[in-house]
Amino acid sequence: MNLLERAVPATALEAAELLAQCDQSGRKVQIVGGNTLAGMGRPPEQAGVTLVTTGLDQIVEYVREDLTVAAQAGVSIASIARLLAQGGQFLPFDAPRQQVATLGGTLAAGWLGPRRHLYGRPRDYILGSTVVLADGTIAKAGGIVVKNVAGYDMSRLYAGSFGTLGLIVQANLKTLVAPQRSRMFLAKLPEGTYARACAGLATLRIAPAAAFAVSGFHSGIDGDEGQEGRLAMLLEGSASLLERATRDLRSALGRAGVPETSVLDAGARESFERVVDAYVATLGERSMTYRFNTTVEEAPARAPVVCELAARHELRSETIVDLMNGDVILRVSDLDSRALGAKIEAFDEALHALEPRAQVIAGEHPLRAVLNVWGEEPPAIDRMRALKMRFDPNRTLNPGRFVGGI
Amino acid sequence: MLLERLRAALGAEAVKTSTEDLAVYSFDAYTDSRLPAAVVLPASVRDISAAVKIAREFGEPIVPRGAGTGLCGGSVPIEGGIVISFARMNRILELDVRNRRARVQPGLINLDLSKATAGAGLFYAPDPSSQKISTVGGNIATNAGGPHCLSYGTTVNHVLSLEVVDERGEVFTTSIDDAGYDLTAALVGSEGTLGIVASAWVKLLRIPESVRVWIAAFGDIDAASEAVSAIIGAGIVPTALEMMDSVIVKAVEAAFHAGYPTDAAAVLLIENAGFEDDMDACEAAIRDIVAQHGAISWRSAHSQSERDALWAGRKGAAGATGRISPNYYTQDLCVPRRKLPLALRAVEAAASEHSIVVGNVFHAGDGNLHPLLMYDKREPKQVEAVVETGSAILQSAIDLGGTISGEHGIGYEKREAMGRVYSSGDLATMARVRDVFDPQRALNPEKIFPSGARCPEVKSN
Repeated sequence: MNLLERAVPATALEAAELLAQCDQSGRKVQIVGGNTLAGMGRPPEQAGVTLVTTGLDQIVEYVREDLTVAAQAGVSIASIARLLAQGGQFLPFDAPRQQVATLGGTLAAGWLGPRRHLYGRPRDYILGSTVVLADGTIAKAGGIVVKNVAGYDMSRLYAGSFGTLGLIVQANLKTLVAPQRSRMFLAKLPEGTYARACAGLATLRIAPAAAFAVSGFHSGIDGDEGQEGRLAMLLEGSASLLERATRDLRSALGRAGVPETSVLDAGARESFERVVDAYVATLGERSMTYRFNTTVEEAPARAPVVCELAARHELRSETIVDLMNGDVILRVSDLDSRALGAKIEAFDEALHALEPRAQVIAGEHPLRAVLNVWGEEPPAIDRMRALKMRFDPNRTLNPGRFVGGI
Repeated sequence: MLLERLRAALGAEAVKTSTEDLAVYSFDAYTDSRLPAAVVLPASVRDISAAVKIAREFGEPIVPRGAGTGLCGGSVPIEGGIVISFARMNRILELDVRNRRARVQPGLINLDLSKATAGAGLFYAPDPSSQKISTVGGNIATNAGGPHCLSYGTTVNHVLSLEVVDERGEVFTTSIDDAGYDLTAALVGSEGTLGIVASAWVKLLRIPESVRVWIAAFGDIDAASEAVSAIIGAGIVPTALEMMDSVIVKAVEAAFHAGYPTDAAAVLLIENAGFEDDMDACEAAIRDIVAQHGAISWRSAHSQSERDALWAGRKGAAGATGRISPNYYTQDLCVPRRKLPLALRAVEAAASEHSIVVGNVFHAGDGNLHPLLMYDKREPKQVEAVVETGSAILQSAIDLGGTISGEHGIGYEKREAMGRVYSSGDLATMARVRDVFDPQRALNPEKIFPSGARCPEVKSN
């Protein structure tokens, strides 16, 4: 086979032949899905072959009555969602830009969406997988039953491995029954109401499926401009549950002094997806987006602190606080690429002094390559390196992209 | 010398060596047994680490052990060596109510965690039927399930982070929130072959505001299993959806007087937990489906004590069969849920072909079957028939697109069957993980992987 710069295998076997050849000939392979999370992790260390998964585009099997679906890596999240919606089901992965985002990429990147506090993480939906290792081994793990303890949980290990252990070719997933209704609330936060509103939302008996405190990110989310805070909250459930949840939510906001809320029923999903899309939206080379996680209690107070830090570095900042999971999304920006470039390294260092685990999740500036994109190394990094060595001793797959230079 | 070193490190009372003591740790709920060289009862992470280091110095394998309730020989010291029992490490170390999590020692009894957190309005969701005696550490090792896993997921969904002692006695930690590979997921369900869990942060859930339990009785078992497939197929996933056939119901009623109808061929025990607002609609929908499938009766449990009695009967079902058969063997298989009726027919066919009485009590909503095969171990022919029946049942699960273990694990018992569901390349890939964490095969040897599976690397072509 000719080793093209760009390869689009259509089958596991084709992918296996390609990887085996690259592995033997010392060519590095960069694995790409929809490229929506290309801003996560380190840029590829060495150019070689780019393996694009979009040729692996089959939904292998959707068995509605089993609540399972099996699909190849290159299928878009949106096309799986459309198929499942016909059966009244869904996958709560909350991938940004889901029209383009692929199943394989979303799993491999270990994407953590805002509804995970309610539904769990993408890794909790993987029942089985087919993976091609760097040496061309095609390995299956798990199956397509909802409980399976036959051997190690390899599929969960591949999820979140950024393609550095193997190429996910197919994933078997369990699905969920879709909620009957979705309702989005959008509210402006008057001066001085932020902390109380966030605290009120965290204690609701019927937890919102998602709740965000947003500052900046203008127009993308709700058409609103400016830096003042807004809240965006998604409720999901049966019609009768939503009525009660709506009352509870309104009264919690009222107690916090948040007067107006606009309610979206039609278009609630789209509104929610715009928030998720904003996580990885860049302003070209003039922005860098970080994410860090803390407890639900602490997250609201941490956002202003990092904004203050950005201001001290003369950077503009915008934040989304995921009030249900304790995530803080921070986008810093400047007038142009050069201006950002002059400040971002110092800011990156200062941010990590405050938030050691902050990770870069989006950014097109070339200096991303020298930032601490993964945050502090995990305590088990040596074992992770050993795993990489055992699965991909020649460092053929996505070299340097992952934590600790893996 | 080995024993002296262990005593010096852990204290004399923490090292058991008498034949009677060793015998207690030589078996679990599976049939095979083997005496270890010694049993140690660490009181701390440091003790675990010291025991592992000493054992390795003397070339002894290490077998971690919870309550020994495993059904597949997972904690049997097949190659002898040192058994590490966590009986003394059974405490809740931290309870973080606001963030709904707890840090626990591996020997903590599963149910004790929910009891201790109930006052704070929280509970620990994984609920294997053994939960009154089995430990959180053992549950983590097997990625234990239970009736309520239908909606809450198995143990892996509830483990946040682990403190682990490796095969050299070194301590490392993993967390699902760490950057990097999800080592937590790799360790959960690895049956003690990748490391020894010394403590774990686990997730706690809010106790639901409303719980309803219903009983539907059927005149034949086919109708009941078709009703289960229909409920799931209609997009209704209750919190638990359990089935018991008449053999089991009669045994349960004789033992517990739990309130199950003994004139039915099969009974569904259904629980839904959540918000009161959704309960009536859920009840009506399920009731409709079971009626369409010919249910002969439907009953709601009206009180907490009635619900508790029904669940006590369900969770004591396997034990109750002791009243009707001298011995029983529990099989564990999982099939796609729409194939449940086919799987039950295959179980019945395999049992009747070998003249074995079978009772079925299982997690129907998950497609996770537990046929209990009755026999008398003093009759060699019956033992042989049970083994053959069990094997045939496993094969039927594989043929239906299912798996050889839904929640009990592979252990020693099913390791040869791994070759029936996975290729040698698949198994060699799993073995790569073992190579990293336990290159000497010192941790719980001869488990999970087929014998002779230290095979050369297998390529796909």
